[in-house]
Parts: sequence; C-alpha cells; structure tokens
Amino acid sequence: MRWFLIPFLAVALSARAEDQPASAISHEVKDIFDHCKRAVVKIHGADEHSELSGTGFFIDPTGTIYTAYSVGGEGSNFTIEFDGKRLPARQLVTDVRSGIAILKVDAASPSLPVGKSENMEVTTPVIAIGYPLDLPETPSLGLIGGFDRKYLGYYFHTTHLRVNVATQRGEAGAPLLNMKGEVVGIVAFTLENNSSCYALPIEAAEKIRSDFLRFGEVRHGWIGANLMQALDTKAGSSAEVTEILDNTPAANCGIHPGDILLQVGRREIHQPDDIIDASFFISAGDNVPITVMRGDERLTFNAQAELHPTTEQVQRIQRLQHPLMIAQPGTNQPSLPLSLEKAPERTP
Amino acid sequence: MEEFDNNEIGRLLRLKRYEQPPPGYFENFLHEFHRRQRDELLRQPLWKIALGRAQDFMMSLNVARIASYPVAVTAVLLCAAVISLKIYQTTPAPNVARLSPIVPAQQTTEGGWSLAAPVSTRITVSQPRTHLSTHRTTTPPRYVLDSMPVSYESSLRF
Repeated sequence: MRWFLIPFLAVALSARAEDQPASAISHEVKDIFDHCKRAVVKIHGADEHSELSGTGFFIDPTGTIYTAYSVGGEGSNFTIEFDGKRLPARQLVTDVRSGIAILKVDAASPSLPVGKSENMEVTTPVIAIGYPLDLPETPSLGLIGGFDRKYLGYYFHTTHLRVNVATQRGEAGAPLLNMKGEVVGIVAFTLENNSSCYALPIEAAEKIRSDFLRFGEVRHGWIGANLMQALDTKAGSSAEVTEILDNTPAANCGIHPGDILLQVGRREIHQPDDIIDASFFISAGDNVPITVMRGDERLTFNAQAELHPTTEQVQRIQRLQHPLMIAQPGTNQPSLPLSLEKAPERTP
Repeated sequence: MEEFDNNEIGRLLRLKRYEQPPPGYFENFLHEFHRRQRDELLRQPLWKIALGRAQDFMMSLNVARIASYPVAVTAVLLCAAVISLKIYQTTPAPNVARLSPIVPAQQTTEGGWSLAAPVSTRITVSQPRTHLSTHRTTTPPRYVLDSMPVSYESSLRF
C-alpha cells in the first residue's frame, strides 16, 4: 500500500511546485495592475470619419497624457474617462514621426513612473493595460519579442519594441509596463493577427516631450548626410557616408562622402541601421559631434543640427490648420548640448 | 265589333265623357313622370346606381381611343412617377445615417502615405470635426489600433 501511494504523492507535489511560479506571476501582475490602472485612461474623440476611442496614460501629476498618434493625433473634441468622470482634454503635441500625441487635462492626476526600455531584452516580461473595445481596463501579459528597426521592408524612425502581447482595438496608446510598474513603451500598432504589437520606446516619447518643454514644439533635427553599407568594416563600423546634401550642416562641418561613421552624438555607429536611433534623438539646434574614420585617421566634427525638412513641412501645414496648437519657440531657450558618455574633441 | 252595335258604343262613349282626368293633370304630367322615375331609381341599392352611372359615362366616351397604345403608356408612366415620388418622400433621413457603413480604422491611412524623401509622413489635410451631433448615439465609436505605423523612414539619413 505504501509503495502504491508514492507515485500519487510525487505527482501531487510536482503539480504544487509548478503552481507556485504561476501563482507568483499572477500575484505580481495583479499588484502592478492594481497599482497602475488608475493612471490609465480611456480617451474619446472624433475625427473626420467617426467618433473614436483609445487608451492613454498620465505621465505626470498635472494631467499630461501620452497616447498614440492614431488616437490623439488628428482628432478633436477629446475627453477622457477618469475617476468615473469625463474630463475635456486638449492636444499639446502631435508628432507623426514618433507616432505619439500628448494631451492635457486640467486636473491633478496619478502618474506612471518612467522606466528604461534600454534595460530590457528579448523575453523580458511586460504588461500592457488598455481599454479594448467598450470593455473596462484590461491587463495583458507578454514578453519582449524583439527590438526592430524595420517592418515589412520599411525603416521605423527609431527602434520599436516588438511585444508578444495580444492587443485589441481600442488599446492603441496603452502603456507597456515592466515588472516594476514603470512605463517602458507605448502601444503603437498591432501585427496582423493581433497576437503581438509594436510599442514606441518610452525614451522616444520623452524626447518629444522634452522638445516641447524646451522649444514649445517638436524639433526633429538633422545633419544632411546619406549612409549605406560599406564594403569593408573600419574601426568596427560599416556605415559609409555616401552623399552630403547641399546647404545642410553636413556640408559645412567637414565630413565627406566615403567617411566611415563611428559615432553621432552619444550613439556609437557599427552599421548603417544604427543611424536610425542616433538621428531620431537629435533636436534642431543641438551641437552634434560626429566622429568618422577617413582613411586611417579618426576625425571628429561638430555640426549644428537644423530642423528636419519634413518636420518643417508638417509644422507649416499644422500652423495653417491649427494656428494656436503649436507654441512658438521661446527666445530665451538656448539649445542644450548633448551630454556625451565619451566627449570627443574636434580634431580637424 | 259585331257584338257592339252603334247604340252600345254610343252609350260607352257617353260614360267615358265622365272619366275625365283631374284638373291640371296634363300640365303636371311631365313633372309627375320624372318624380316617379326618380322614385323607381331610388329603390335600387346605391352601388347599383353608381355602377349604372359609370357604365353610362364610359359608354358616352370613345372607348377605342382610351385603349389606344399611347394613352396606355402615358397612364403607366404617370402611375410610376406618382409611386416613385411617394417612395422618396416617405424615406426618413435618419435611416441614411444608420445605414452608412462604419469606417474601419485601417481606412484612416488610406492614400495618406507619402514615401517622399527624406522622411515619409502622413500629412493631415482634413479639418477636425466640430459637430458631434451628426453621429447617432447608438453608433459605436471606432476603437483605435492600427495595423501599420503612422509613418516610415524612407532612407538611412541623418
């Protein structure tokens, strides 16, 4: 009889041992959900097609809300559901390049702490809290599936987080949280079967907010050079400058076609794709050090970034349509230099 | 005639001399005739009277002409026009809004992509809606989650 019971006991104990991690994850997710859900709001608005509904979240205690551009970018008459009330919200910033919009309500609010997506890696667990369809706030647990710069043959403006979180319609703009309850991304769009989604890293959204705080508008910067894959790798990089556009900072700072790009601002460049993130975080007016390899010589140039031509075009159109939406840059807000991990000196 | 002799005939005629109609009989004869005719008519049911009059009216018309092809076509066209006017006038306006399809989220980017260098963006050219009252309260909103990014980088530039 005793020998007969041993297998049953072994099976029962192993099942209990397997339950414990699942239970721990469940409790952890529940804690984060309970702690963060008050800062996640449902956003209502209307555009030229119909009324729309999406998700957003408070990023500071003064009622500033991050959401996706598809929710808050092109609509109007925004309201949010918060604490059982509907509050009117206004657009502060819309940026088609990053794919986010920033709204504001005149109310004190809870806010989510900002984390670092740079500290995450593939398989790191994350939680999204959104409002699917007309349902209440809903947590979804998933894993980081990848850090992608390219999707269906096109480049993103900055690296996006591919997340194995099943999102539904209505959850665009939802916060992506790490297991500390910190925001690491904003749900931007879904993959084909809704089993995964792409999220904008929170650092990119913070860059947009920083631009707005500094200049009163989003100021994507650029230098004016084209890159492609070099045949050979030099000093660990294969990003070759192929073209310098006329009347751009690149034309004036001294870099030449054929230079191998090693560093732009604080970002090291190893391959042409690396320029995507380096470029996205440049603001117009920034003094950007650019390190290149020319022959066997390592050179560093300083270029003053100018307003990205496409940004300039979009802002001109937006000013025509909504003259009061974009604040004019202040005259007492000088550009701030990038803080470099390794400050290269100007060598030429 | 042989049964009656002249005397007997004379006697009968003398008797008839006392069978005169009352005074004014001949003057009122026509009026009395019409009155009796109307009385006879009113003894029939109303539907029979109407039918008879309709038959009289139809008989008074030229039936062959009415049945001719152009007249028949004209009558059909007139009927069709009247019926169609009735249909369009009775369609209530709110049904149009209710039957109009809900625009799916993907259509917001339709035709809005621009891959022009150096950065492709979707440019807003439409004015925001201001009159929400045009939407029926029963129409659900568009729950947003696109399946594509709002813009792409067209080339590796910085």
